[in-house]
Amino acid sequence: MTATCTTDLNRDLRRLIVEMVYRGRDGHIPSAFSILDLITYLYDEVLRFDPRNPDWADRDYFILSKGHGCLALYVNLHRHGFLTDEDLLRFCQPGGILGEHPDCTKVPGVEASTGSLGHGFPFAMGIALGLQIKGARNRVLALIGDGESHEGTIWETALVASHRQLGNLCCLVDLNGSAEQILPLGDLRAKWEAFGWEAHEIDGHSLDDMRRVIGGLDFSTHGRPKVVIAHTLKGKGVSMLEGHGPWHHRIPNDQEYATLLQVLGS
Amino acid sequence: MSATKDIRQQFADTMLDVGQQDPQLVVVVGDISHFKLQPFAEACPGRFYNIGILEPTMVTMSAGLARVGFFPVVHTIAPFLIERSFEQLKLDFGYQALPGNIVTVGSAFDYANLGCTHHCYDDFALVKSIPGAQITFPASAPEFDALFRQAYRNEALTIYRIPATPHGYEVAPGEIRFGQAIRVAEGHDLTLVVTGPQLRAALEARSILLERGWMAEVLYIHTVRPLDRESIRHSVAKTRRVLVIEEHQKTGGLGMDVLEEVHPLEGLQFHSLHLPDRFVRDYRSYQEHCAAVDLDTAGIVRAVETHFSPASALATHAP
Repeated sequence: MTATCTTDLNRDLRRLIVEMVYRGRDGHIPSAFSILDLITYLYDEVLRFDPRNPDWADRDYFILSKGHGCLALYVNLHRHGFLTDEDLLRFCQPGGILGEHPDCTKVPGVEASTGSLGHGFPFAMGIALGLQIKGARNRVLALIGDGESHEGTIWETALVASHRQLGNLCCLVDLNGSAEQILPLGDLRAKWEAFGWEAHEIDGHSLDDMRRVIGGLDFSTHGRPKVVIAHTLKGKGVSMLEGHGPWHHRIPNDQEYATLLQVLGS
Repeated sequence: MSATKDIRQQFADTMLDVGQQDPQLVVVVGDISHFKLQPFAEACPGRFYNIGILEPTMVTMSAGLARVGFFPVVHTIAPFLIERSFEQLKLDFGYQALPGNIVTVGSAFDYANLGCTHHCYDDFALVKSIPGAQITFPASAPEFDALFRQAYRNEALTIYRIPATPHGYEVAPGEIRFGQAIRVAEGHDLTLVVTGPQLRAALEARSILLERGWMAEVLYIHTVRPLDRESIRHSVAKTRRVLVIEEHQKTGGLGMDVLEEVHPLEGLQFHSLHLPDRFVRDYRSYQEHCAAVDLDTAGIVRAVETHFSPASALATHAP
């Protein structure tokens, strides 16, 4: 039997995201749903971290370059002990530490303040280069969007990281079709391979795929950097949110909120 | 170390010396100065990167280096680092409070004949808009060496604007202190607040003005931010006349900061020599560009005699 994201756990996390957005009156629900399964897998099975010591020297680095998907990161940081219930309750509230983009100056476990697309990925490359200089074994994973892949800095980074043999760096691409409706990316895998990257494709909602591909990556300090192109569905998990309609930055009203909770099994 | 030494060579020499002592220093360049920096590259293997011609990525990548404990030095031509990569400086270094050292060449219109693409006379203004960012303008080799050593590990984003033409004035190394103005000459009729290579013109102008009855005080500013406001206020409170001289546009320049500091003084007379509010379009040498906008000895003398009441009239205002 194929494991997918339709687990009770991921449904609960989706419901938590909806509750945060409804309460905070802000947030990007479909973008978070698009990457939730991937981030949950990373925090459950891949990344090494210590919530009691977020700056632990031997930790792996996860950089959410498409910062507007941060709700998927927040709920995972919460379930792994970086954030409290109170932190989630204060999403987009005065005095809270959680906003619509992740902020490393406020949020334990967040490695980079992102939001302006095209920054997190080169920042992750700098971390990977620094770790390479040190000869350290930490791994660096950056998650970018397909729309973000329009940015020139993404491809500048792809060029440099390959040239510098940053084998400790992995780029995850949330390929949910956002770019396709504006400026199509064409054969994305071929593009990354042309830049010298070891390229993989997965179903970004399939736990089996994630385990098979990401779980098997070789993060040698020197070597080809890796890209994993995750085919995803924006708004995955609730049909009314799926796709590229009006829900990108929409806040549910009372009736919609009740419907969403019902669908998500409250 | 001579005040006439090429400052860019001093940059390379300082990197070599500091880099051998500090394993956390990493130098990243955008395909310039790589020959000068070869001694550093050889002495500090794995810590020199001629990364390519992709300045925004170079800046953000260097912020990532800072995130894991390095003190990056990022170096290329000013407009590509300060203007093209401004958002990267603001967000990735500034907002995240990461230490970074941005060493630029191509001060103002140093690349005289290369035109607007290679000029940069808004860098003070842009960097001042980043909270906490620091700006130095070391116009002699000893200044670069001293200021870099004092500031490069200070956990802030620091700009070092290297001019092609040193001012040539010898300052004792012990007198060069980050954030402190240097009183190069004493006077009581007028304060010349000057930054960069214009110090040479200011001192020449002072000699001419002395013959015409003006005893000018010269305050030299190598650290534009944080600005030594106390020294400026103290001098101008005495002279009540101040002329600011800078190779920068008016908006966001040193002149505006000086005026902000001294404007409450009774009887104040203020004037500023800066680049006019238009693009520098002509092809000519650096010296000819300076002369065209009164940023030379004759221009300074002319500004004093045009915009300030005669020195003999000062006694009626002086406390």
